[in-house]
Amino acid sequence: MLGHVTGRIAQALVVMLVMSMLVFVGVHAIGNPIDVLIGPDVSQDIRLETIARYGLDRPLYEQYFTFLGRILHGDFGRSFVFGMPVLDLILSRLPATLELTLSAVCGAALIGIPAGIYAGYRPDGFAAKIIMTVSILGFSVPTFWIGLVLIMTFAVELQWLPAGGRGDTVAVFGVEWSFLTLNGLSHLLLPALNLAFFKLALMTRLARAGTREAMLSDTVKFARAAGLSEWTVLRRHVLRLIAIPLVTVFGLEFASTLAFAVVTETIFSWPGIGKLIIDSITSLDRPVMVAYLMLVAFVFITINFLVDLAYVGLDPRLRKAGSR
Amino acid sequence: MSPSPLLEVTNLVTHFHSRTGIVKAVDGVSFALRRGEVMGLVGESGSGKSITGFSIIGLIDPPGRVEGGSIKLDGRELVGLPSSELRGIRGKSISMVFQDPMMTLNPMLTIGTQIRLALEAHEDVSAAEGRKRAIAALRQVRIPEPETKVDFYPHQFSGGMRQRVAIAIALLHRPKLIIADEPTTALDVSIQAEILVEMKELVAELGTSMIWISHDLATIASIADHVCVMRSGKIVEAGPVLDVLTRPKHPYTQSLLDALPSRAKPGALLARGAGTDAAPPPRLARLAESGRRKAEIPYFVIDAVGKRFQQKAGVLRLLAQKMGIARPAPSVQAVDSVSLTLTRGEALGLVGESGSGKSTLGRMAAGIYAPDAGHVLLDGEPVMSSGDRPHKITTRIQTIFQDPFASLNQRMRIGDSISEGPIAHGLVSRAEAGHYVRQWLAAVGLDPAFASRYPHQFSGGQRQRVAIARALAMQPDVVVCDEPVASLDVSIQAQIINLLIRLRSELDLTLIFISHDLSVVRHLCDRVAIMHRGRIVESGTASEVYDHPQDPYTQRLLAAVPVLPVA
Repeated sequence: MLGHVTGRIAQALVVMLVMSMLVFVGVHAIGNPIDVLIGPDVSQDIRLETIARYGLDRPLYEQYFTFLGRILHGDFGRSFVFGMPVLDLILSRLPATLELTLSAVCGAALIGIPAGIYAGYRPDGFAAKIIMTVSILGFSVPTFWIGLVLIMTFAVELQWLPAGGRGDTVAVFGVEWSFLTLNGLSHLLLPALNLAFFKLALMTRLARAGTREAMLSDTVKFARAAGLSEWTVLRRHVLRLIAIPLVTVFGLEFASTLAFAVVTETIFSWPGIGKLIIDSITSLDRPVMVAYLMLVAFVFITINFLVDLAYVGLDPRLRKAGSR
Repeated sequence: MSPSPLLEVTNLVTHFHSRTGIVKAVDGVSFALRRGEVMGLVGESGSGKSITGFSIIGLIDPPGRVEGGSIKLDGRELVGLPSSELRGIRGKSISMVFQDPMMTLNPMLTIGTQIRLALEAHEDVSAAEGRKRAIAALRQVRIPEPETKVDFYPHQFSGGMRQRVAIAIALLHRPKLIIADEPTTALDVSIQAEILVEMKELVAELGTSMIWISHDLATIASIADHVCVMRSGKIVEAGPVLDVLTRPKHPYTQSLLDALPSRAKPGALLARGAGTDAAPPPRLARLAESGRRKAEIPYFVIDAVGKRFQQKAGVLRLLAQKMGIARPAPSVQAVDSVSLTLTRGEALGLVGESGSGKSTLGRMAAGIYAPDAGHVLLDGEPVMSSGDRPHKITTRIQTIFQDPFASLNQRMRIGDSISEGPIAHGLVSRAEAGHYVRQWLAAVGLDPAFASRYPHQFSGGQRQRVAIARALAMQPDVVVCDEPVASLDVSIQAQIINLLIRLRSELDLTLIFISHDLSVVRHLCDRVAIMHRGRIVESGTASEVYDHPQDPYTQRLLAAVPVLPVA
């Protein structure tokens, strides 16, 4: 087990290093930030001086190694636009995205998995057909459109919920959270719902497919032959049998939503990192882009690792190799 | 004993509704079972024997439905009971044991948890009490050290142990009736013998009645008092086991018995020569040339071959091993220095239980696996090239695998599957291939027009014929058969065995026949080698080994085979 963990960490470091190179080169290929940072009418002297100040006059590999050296000291550089350390900038936006993503993905799992199991358990029932129809909608209707419909319905027409922003926040351990206040929750609900819709459909279909297969397995037949109630069969046997793919998708969706909740955050003016990255791309704010993409790589690697650990927790057959 | 039977099944009808029509899986079955009696229900696949069992325990899932008839347990009618009441009976009054213990237990839960769930289905028990009862249940089915085993997961048990756990769960509430659906079919013969004895003792001890469903007449003979023979959803013959098996009245029972190799003279055609009405196999000119025998060299030599399976260690793991942090990955010595010599035209049976290394040895002989040690020579020439990445360099050895579902490409017409190899090796030209394939299909007893069909359009037995045609179309001299009849019904098995006997003599083939079934091997093979844990423990002519086994393992193996009563 320990060998496995160290192996994974070494792997992760290599991936991060390669990622940093790709990102660095890629971002440089997009365009020159100087053109965005300073107006076209400034003198050549000031232009050169600005370039030198940001270190943009030096060769690319030199810039890269300076960048790497700074990272080792925990310094991701300063934003060209905001003029503050990139790390602080990202960390100030991260909690907003984190709570949005977590509530969306967890909500999708908590509703989608039971709905999917039910639809798989009674595949010919009326309720199952409704569940599956809704899930097809979740797959096929674009997120931005659902977001607009949600705003139109609940914010504009009914005026039950606010249309955007984070609302009131409470600081816990120095971090601002919305979900702890009633007002914050009301702001969170619509964007979380919007973000959850696709994942809900995915979880439902996955759980349904797994359940349909598991219900035909000898394990379930044997459990029924022993007189177990249907509820016990579903809860104790089926749920465990279908857990692995669900955990996989949960992890992947969580990571990708955390990184790319851009559309929803834009529609609901949610001040998360999705908006930050869009803004930094339009203003060619290189340090923010680089740091953000590195963070995304890190999040994916971490979540994949946690998913692997969850596999081991769920499936005793995977424990064998480690414990021997 | 009271005259009223424990279970009375009258005119039971179970249908499966599908788009293409109604399948009458069980079509008017009637029988009665006394208290403490063991009844055998025998039939081939699709005869409805398992569906009868599921109908009794009330587990017919849609689109299936019990359409009519009556099932009375202790006088209580079970047909038409609401599902909640049926659930109360399942596991408590009637319980069931399934075929494959690898599939029945939930791999994610400990044995103890699964036993406790079954307990809680009918009783309120505390956690401590549940654990105590689980341990007692494991002890009853003779699982050693039940106190620690109760916390094991299914994968930590062997197949036999898992089946014991399933039996323990079935016996938990002292049911009046146990339905055992092929409970020993997936097990090795020695484990099967143990389970048979234990089941027999347990039902006698507890006074439980049992319905033993099986395709195997011999196991039924060794456990049941009565037997019902099923075919196409109907019981065609019923009576005391001895009567039915020694003086069968129905022609179908007779044909089942005739299909058994254990009842026939070794080497004779089975079931009155069924399935041999086929054309002679096509020969190519090359065959005559390769038939020239180099007299001084032994024909086919397997010389001290060994194979060890080990996980490839990555760079980090190797480093960690060097530093003493990690141990090397576990390895299995599948075959350990085995030597065999075959003369031309000989049939060698390779017998062993699962994990004995017989398939690995067969694959090395066929040039599929490269041996780690030793070599395989045909006519003095190596079967595989030497070097870092050895590959097979002869077409003179071919393999027929157990599972024709898996060994044929589902997306290829079978004609293309058969001609693929001969064309690639230049045995026939593309233009001749169609004719060549049709000749081979005729030779294995199939309609030559089937060449354009896909594998899913064939039954298991037909598919195995295709696999045989595909192997033989390469015009091999040696054929390695890896359990080619293991997944087939007895009557189909008899036809395939007949086909192999015929083709072997017509083509002068040398056979390596791998099987766990001692009777099939005896029937087909001149010589037998018994494998155990990667080694050959005994070999000799078939009659020598079977009639006077020397090695204690061979003796145990032969003693474990259930035998049919003879009149």
